[in-house]
Amino acid sequence: MTRRGVHGVAPWVGAAGPCVAVLALLASAAQAADYRFDLAEIEAKPWELGGFVEGKAEHLRLAPQAALYPLSFGGAPPRHTLDRATATLELAGTFKQGPFTAYGRVDGIAVTDALRTNSAGRVLEAGVRASPTEGLSFDLGKQVQRWGKGYAWNPVAFFERPKDPNDPQQSREGFVMASADAVKSLQGAVAAIGFTPVLLPTSGDLNRDYGERGHGNPGARLYALVADTDIDLLWAAKGSRPQRIGLDFSRNFGSQLEVHCEWARAIGAIRRELAAGGAVTTRRSHLDSALLGLRYLTDNEVTWIVEFYRNGAGYDDAQLARFYDLLGSAFAPDGTPAQQAQASSLAQSGFGRSNAGRHYAYLRASAKDPFDWLYVNPALTAIVNLDDRSFQLTPEVVYGGWQNVELRLRAVWLHGKASSEFSAKPAQRRVEASAKFYF
Amino acid sequence: MHSIRRLALLAALLPGVALALDGRALLEKVDRNLEPESYEMTRKLINEEPDGKRKEFILYSVKKGRGNVAALFLAPASDKGRSTLRQGDNMWLYIPNVGKPVRITSLQSVTGGVFNNADILRVDYSEEYDVTSAQEEGENYRLDLKAKSGNVAYDRLVLTVDRKTVLPTRIEAYAASGLRVKTLHFKDIKDFGGGIRRPATVETDSPLYKGYKSVMLYAAVKKREVPDEVFTLNFMSRLEELRK
Repeated sequence: MTRRGVHGVAPWVGAAGPCVAVLALLASAAQAADYRFDLAEIEAKPWELGGFVEGKAEHLRLAPQAALYPLSFGGAPPRHTLDRATATLELAGTFKQGPFTAYGRVDGIAVTDALRTNSAGRVLEAGVRASPTEGLSFDLGKQVQRWGKGYAWNPVAFFERPKDPNDPQQSREGFVMASADAVKSLQGAVAAIGFTPVLLPTSGDLNRDYGERGHGNPGARLYALVADTDIDLLWAAKGSRPQRIGLDFSRNFGSQLEVHCEWARAIGAIRRELAAGGAVTTRRSHLDSALLGLRYLTDNEVTWIVEFYRNGAGYDDAQLARFYDLLGSAFAPDGTPAQQAQASSLAQSGFGRSNAGRHYAYLRASAKDPFDWLYVNPALTAIVNLDDRSFQLTPEVVYGGWQNVELRLRAVWLHGKASSEFSAKPAQRRVEASAKFYF
Repeated sequence: MHSIRRLALLAALLPGVALALDGRALLEKVDRNLEPESYEMTRKLINEEPDGKRKEFILYSVKKGRGNVAALFLAPASDKGRSTLRQGDNMWLYIPNVGKPVRITSLQSVTGGVFNNADILRVDYSEEYDVTSAQEEGENYRLDLKAKSGNVAYDRLVLTVDRKTVLPTRIEAYAASGLRVKTLHFKDIKDFGGGIRRPATVETDSPLYKGYKSVMLYAAVKKREVPDEVFTLNFMSRLEELRK
């Protein structure tokens, strides 16, 4: 008998006699019957198909005076607001035959606002996996290698497109590559070791956005679980990008705290810099990136994620300010096409990346079911550029109480002094509401 | 006078009889009666709100030895493909879109509701707890357990075990502060075949979630030995391959 049966029905029984008792028993039986579980519901099939559709509405408060505004909205009359609607369909499927699994993930996105209406489709993943044993597998095709332990950033993610720290769980597009994965469990302090070699060729149109063409781009990851600590040693050979080495670790301390760390060095990397006089120079050096983070669950079920990130390829506040000033001059009424071309070129070479700074802090506090509101998860996220003290604040609420439906409401607020990273972004305020339905 | 002396002697010996109950052996027997040491099982988790609204999850799990458990979400569609792994005190969650397994803690909950990760990826009670006292109470045994380390989700458990079946009927879980965190009710003993006869329903309520309830329904439990490599981070994205 269920809890509702006990508390809701039993008092009636004594008061209304045998008829009510029979009704109560029937009601109770019906409620109990609801707790049935038939294995046919989840029979294993050779093929599976799933995905989601998402609708999102955004209201943006634009800042036409912001340094990066012309790069996003150049050519159109300055605007202070923009409403945008986005529809996304993502489909994922697998087909299994013996030790082979074919898999694919595609998406289609349609966006409309006052300035544009367009749509695009992407193949996020598409490949074949052969798994001769539980400890060995081979993958060939477009795949997403996810290396690193960080939540918002991953300095050791050598073979993948960067995460968006504003939405780290968003689907990302992979690269076409061949990879293998071998893992062995052991007894003793080293509980498991794993080895993942990777080959990511660039030729013709294949992986053209990974870097320079004509390289095989081999790399590897060596994993070990040592004394309850995950440790990875990572390497990517010189090819389309400079040689990189890295390591990461992650460990739980008690039942409420997890600590993680990443370090990566790009050896002999070339970086464009903007000197005080406005001259653009190119410098070759070793670029060290690092991340230190923790995840802590409080007794009242608030999860804190804190990360400090040193972006080896990033720029300090003085360099970024010079770049934003250059953009301001280039796109001013008296700016020349040559200045605009130089500014656009610098933006593409790294100054215009979403987190182009040198030092960042990431802080996220999310509460589970506060005030006994089951499936309501409010969160507050802050991303701070520690050099120029500008920041982005994102409060949000996610509701997941309906089966296969996720509702999200969030606002984004950027703040910073003039010529700082977050004050330079074109959208200074944003409110968005989205509904996602999984099938 | 002689009879009175005998009665007094018997009364003095009774607590000794209770103490003689081997709590550790009893707890290990409870563990084995609940599940074989290595198994595969399929469960449905239901989180029910006070108004009757429900959210359901279906999990396929494998366990090996005393501390290795892996679970794969088969439903709902929003969670399908997620997997969780436990090796002793270490726990990870793999989300297909996010990709890499992230460490999680035992007190978090991958499903929401009253069950936390330690409930969902449960290892043997005797692996995590010491028996501090064992007593007979009418038709039941009462076992008081204390966590072996601070990594365990609950500081203290009180098990009510049916003497006839040596299966738990009720478990109360307490935090280190002494606060009762939740109560698990074991119901509907069912024969799963292969000598496994255990409660098919576990209901949980908590004073922290008044009116809310979580239910775990067991549909299939059977002995199965899988290779050790199944319980590694590398295999978390491939757990589906174990299902037949």
